[in-house]
Amino acid sequence: MKRRTFVQLLAATPLASTIQDNESKAAPKYKVVTPYKPAAAPGMPGPYPGKVVSVKSAKCLNEDGTKINGEVVREMMERGMREMTGEAKTIDSWRRFFTPEDIVGIKVNAGGRPWVVSSHEIVAETIRNLMAVGVKPQQIYIYERFQNQLDQVNYAPRVPEGVNIFAAERANARNNNQSYDPQVYVEADFFGEDDTRSNMIRLASQKLTKIINIPNMKDHGATGATGCLKNIAYGSFSNVARTHHKGVSHTLSFVGALAAVEPLRSKTVLQIMDGLRGVWHAGPFAPTLKYVFFPRTIMFGTDPVAIDRLLLDIIDDERKRRGAISIWNRDTKTLDFNSGGNRDKDPNVNIIIREPGHVEYAGNLGLGVHDIKKIEVKEIEI
Amino acid sequence: MKLVALACAYFICHISYAIFHMPYFICHMPWHMKAQVTDAPRAAPRIYWAGGIETAESLKQAGIEQIATAPNNAGAWRKAGFKVVAVSQAELERREKLLTPRIAGRANVASATRRPWIDANGWRFVRNPTGRFYYDLPRGKAAMALAEAFAYEADAVLKIDPADLTEAGAMIAFIKNLPGAPRPAIADIGVIDDGSPEMGEVMNLLTRRNLLFKIVSAPAPQLRVNIKLGSKEYPKASAANPSEFAQKIRQQLGDENRSLRVYGTEMVICRLTGDGARARLHMLNYSGREADGLRVRLLGAYRKGEANGLGFGRIEMEDFGADETATEFSISKMGIYAVIDLIRSN
Repeated sequence: MKRRTFVQLLAATPLASTIQDNESKAAPKYKVVTPYKPAAAPGMPGPYPGKVVSVKSAKCLNEDGTKINGEVVREMMERGMREMTGEAKTIDSWRRFFTPEDIVGIKVNAGGRPWVVSSHEIVAETIRNLMAVGVKPQQIYIYERFQNQLDQVNYAPRVPEGVNIFAAERANARNNNQSYDPQVYVEADFFGEDDTRSNMIRLASQKLTKIINIPNMKDHGATGATGCLKNIAYGSFSNVARTHHKGVSHTLSFVGALAAVEPLRSKTVLQIMDGLRGVWHAGPFAPTLKYVFFPRTIMFGTDPVAIDRLLLDIIDDERKRRGAISIWNRDTKTLDFNSGGNRDKDPNVNIIIREPGHVEYAGNLGLGVHDIKKIEVKEIEI
Repeated sequence: MKLVALACAYFICHISYAIFHMPYFICHMPWHMKAQVTDAPRAAPRIYWAGGIETAESLKQAGIEQIATAPNNAGAWRKAGFKVVAVSQAELERREKLLTPRIAGRANVASATRRPWIDANGWRFVRNPTGRFYYDLPRGKAAMALAEAFAYEADAVLKIDPADLTEAGAMIAFIKNLPGAPRPAIADIGVIDDGSPEMGEVMNLLTRRNLLFKIVSAPAPQLRVNIKLGSKEYPKASAANPSEFAQKIRQQLGDENRSLRVYGTEMVICRLTGDGARARLHMLNYSGREADGLRVRLLGAYRKGEANGLGFGRIEMEDFGADETATEFSISKMGIYAVIDLIRSN
């Protein structure tokens, strides 16, 4: 880094915000460092705050939910994008967000492999539309944090030649940091850990001009549910697992704090939630079909908070339907923080007190609309 | 002859000048570098070799020219051209035996986080700077132990597995080629050592967290924190959980005031030395694998000096930046040992 750049970084520090978690006594303080300023109209919440288009089709999966119908997914994507933007032609709806000059990142979710990941069909359809706009395959980056997860999901055979597939680290082992930007980070001490920084992936901060977020509908042991916010936040920064420890989680505030860091907030312009399949317990993982359910839905929007607010109910309703404790349950008697195994066996065991309030917290940071009464949902059935 | 005399006079003059002006340099160091003058440099670590003289060729091939060996073998090794220190079995046993430096499978022991347990000896060297130490190492650990002992300028003898000769030789060559002389250790914390095991464990965990300390006989006003177990502020019971105790010390010092921070790993332990004009950072990677993308923050303004890593040669200090408060840079990749030299900017 040249000195001038560093001075710029230091000059940016006074812009940095200090967010106080107002719930916990041991509230973490966040020092946000970034040389990037927000765009005039940041991608989150974007041009459609509080608006969600939910497209459902029974035909998007086969009967047992194990196979995805690409043609139906294409139709769902077209209808969803047109409905969101009000454009008559699908291509025009994509042109609202992207130009041929853009370098576009697609933040996938590969953690729920093999059953609940950003599906090949949705990712491929996204790329097809970007290319229709004029974005060259070489300007498109599918990205995720861990290479081993991406390898297992294996997008390469399903996307055009030239599309980049990028992982920041070989695996979740915290020994590759080169792909993270030393100038963009959030510093916080959660549990006395020595490494108190979480740095943004360089690809996101330095190279991409736009980002499309493709999360899944998933239960999550720490956040209650994981959707748009956590996928873009925890999936674009290093050293984030440190926020949960021995039954306590600081995801309440950290998810939103990370998602709000520039330039991530400004560049993330489109949210496409893959709800073809979901996982209602033991998420974010889905190694078997044991806790997989089938919403057969894709949600579209630019407001990650609004989509995630709907997701909280989707996951919680499914858990209730199955007789499992609510994601809002804070009873410490449900807690067995030493045993992921027991949690996997029993949907009434938590490993962490969940923090579904992270969605509201992010709303309060200005990332979107949390109040369910103010969220406009357009439902389409195909 | 005249030339030799002139050279000697010139040398003596410069040494005298340096000795005369040393108090000036120390007085004008920034606050955080004061009171760090500790022990003088001591012997470099030495491999204890029990093999017979017939193994001389393998040592030479590994580039090892200095060894410690049993007194009855010393003559033969000297004749073979080696620099030899005779160390009897009794002396070996008198030396303080060290742990094998490594990650130990004790995750969460005395730890508030997922930080893995590391068997490291740096704190022992700081605690006993004139001590004599001894490693008895399993295969694969010679180079790490050599680096550790060298970084702390410890008088250590290392019994190594013969299979490690090449790695040991490479480390010795690396150390030998490092420029410059040792400098005093930089510390933020003073420890009044009562010699107790509890205090030792506190020092171990301070080292583990890269909380730089030095031994003082009385509280040193130039250090932000001074620890005396049994005092009102630090009752003995407070050290019952040394990890919590180290965390308390960290909070008292304040991360912003720490002379050294390392980001991107919790398995690299560092020693920082400096004399007001230059600083040297020894980075010891105990993880057993390469570390990449480490970020270092040093208090004070520095310019780039030379950086070297075993197995990597010269390494680049990337994304380098400094202001009047602190200097930051990244090390893109390192193996078990890297040495970073910096030059004071003001």
